[in-house]
Amino acid sequence: MNTAGSTFTMPLGPVHVALEEPVYFHLTVEGETIRHVSLTSGHVHRGMEAMATQRNLVQNTTLTERVCSLCSNSHSFTYCMAVENVLGITIPARARYLRVLAEEIKRVASHLFNTAIQAHIIGFKSLFMHTMEVREMMQDIKETVYGNRMHLASNCIGGVKCDVPGDLLDYILSMIDKIEPAVEEVRELYSTNSMVLARTKGLGLLPKEDALRLGVVGPVARGSGLRMDVRRDSPYAAYPELEFETIVDSGCCIHSRTKVRLHEIFESFKLIRQCCKRVPDGPTIASMRQIRDAEACARAEAPRGEVFYYIRTNGTDIPARLKWRAPSYMNWEALGIMMRDCKVADVALIANSIDPCVSCTER
Amino acid sequence: MQKIIRGDVHIIQSITALCDGTGAVRHSVDSFSNAFYWFRLGTPRMLTQAAAVLRDAGARLCMATACNSRHLNEPMQEVCYHFEVSGILYNLTVSLNGEWPTVPSISPLFANADWHEREMMELYGVKVADHPNPQRLFLDEELDAGLLNKAVPLSIMMNGACTTDLWERILKDRENPE
Repeated sequence: MNTAGSTFTMPLGPVHVALEEPVYFHLTVEGETIRHVSLTSGHVHRGMEAMATQRNLVQNTTLTERVCSLCSNSHSFTYCMAVENVLGITIPARARYLRVLAEEIKRVASHLFNTAIQAHIIGFKSLFMHTMEVREMMQDIKETVYGNRMHLASNCIGGVKCDVPGDLLDYILSMIDKIEPAVEEVRELYSTNSMVLARTKGLGLLPKEDALRLGVVGPVARGSGLRMDVRRDSPYAAYPELEFETIVDSGCCIHSRTKVRLHEIFESFKLIRQCCKRVPDGPTIASMRQIRDAEACARAEAPRGEVFYYIRTNGTDIPARLKWRAPSYMNWEALGIMMRDCKVADVALIANSIDPCVSCTER
Repeated sequence: MQKIIRGDVHIIQSITALCDGTGAVRHSVDSFSNAFYWFRLGTPRMLTQAAAVLRDAGARLCMATACNSRHLNEPMQEVCYHFEVSGILYNLTVSLNGEWPTVPSISPLFANADWHEREMMELYGVKVADHPNPQRLFLDEELDAGLLNKAVPLSIMMNGACTTDLWERILKDRENPE
């Protein structure tokens, strides 16, 4: 510990700050109060962008799905959209709905996971266990429908790899009917429990102007009053044909971000139901087209916010450049604002409130 | 029927004035009718002016990509900045000048350019002039630049018999000892 006047520099991490992913915080503290935060990351940089330029377009679908585990579907989804944009492919209507279905199932599971971790950090073990149990039902859906619990391997260039037959759509609907009241119970607990509220309400503040200045995305932005949602701002897949609300909360604190996530789960339920009921019949994949020299972008709303992909092709099946930016990349800097003047004991809780993903930030 | 492509006329006109050459400005749409504009700026110096136009229009910087038409480990030739305004993407590409690949920092205009620019400096060897916080992003300050380039990748070592990569690498290292 270094001392300078009345302040100390305190290292925290790199492991076990919120999740078991490595980030190293350098906290300048005055007593128990944080005055300045800087962070060091890079412990899990895997050189994935270089790997992408050594694989063909089809192989990169598998690679990009492994950028992140919780947002895995969003990465392959956005990557496939970038390839479809660069090649000029229009995917079939059934694939558009099935892509949204997988994406929203992943969103519910991801939001429940983050909310559960919050209870874990607070030390409310029974709530943690209960939320994880509810999430387990979403995991069951994933395993039953896609065969995998994390990497669904559903997206492919031109559409979706596997069709979801009618009986599985009915199964999803019946499971959502069971899960919805359980999530309602969880939402009620997070909104009213005095222990949860004491640790989350009014803490980890990110004012709207700072959120705008730092360009934060996803529930972090929406929890600070910014109405931004790629699904609505630049509609893609079947989203333009489906009804859902963008949840915004102007509380700017940890609790606001949790509320946004919990309310969003119900919007995802709405979307899942609409997809199951309205998915049109027809093919699930469009054919490949000739690869030329071109460049394109694509973006999508992952559970943590906007995912952005850029691709450049050079006439071969190996991309000349593939670059992506995960939502957490935009949200880390906001921790400096959120943690200022907070207590050291709240660092893990505040870090968790941005739903951080280190491995996708560092690629 | 001609498709109507949405876009902010003021942004398009102001940035077009900073571009030169044929094909420096183009637009595209995806299959969901989302619009993309692509501008190739005359020189990297124009970037600050173009970024100021976008900042004044309330744009958000989404990403910056350092590109190379050959191989990733060769010097970068271009940087593409991706901005979003009202759901429309405006992409600004600047070509870098040969041996001194330098772009001006846009961090004073867009606070979230900080990480993107530090990443470009650290991982892609692009120089960013007047960056307010030119520290390492992912690599520890104690590591020498290009440290990993000294190591021979396992994939090259394993393919000694079927490619010339390993032998070329050894010859190159012998010709240019540290």
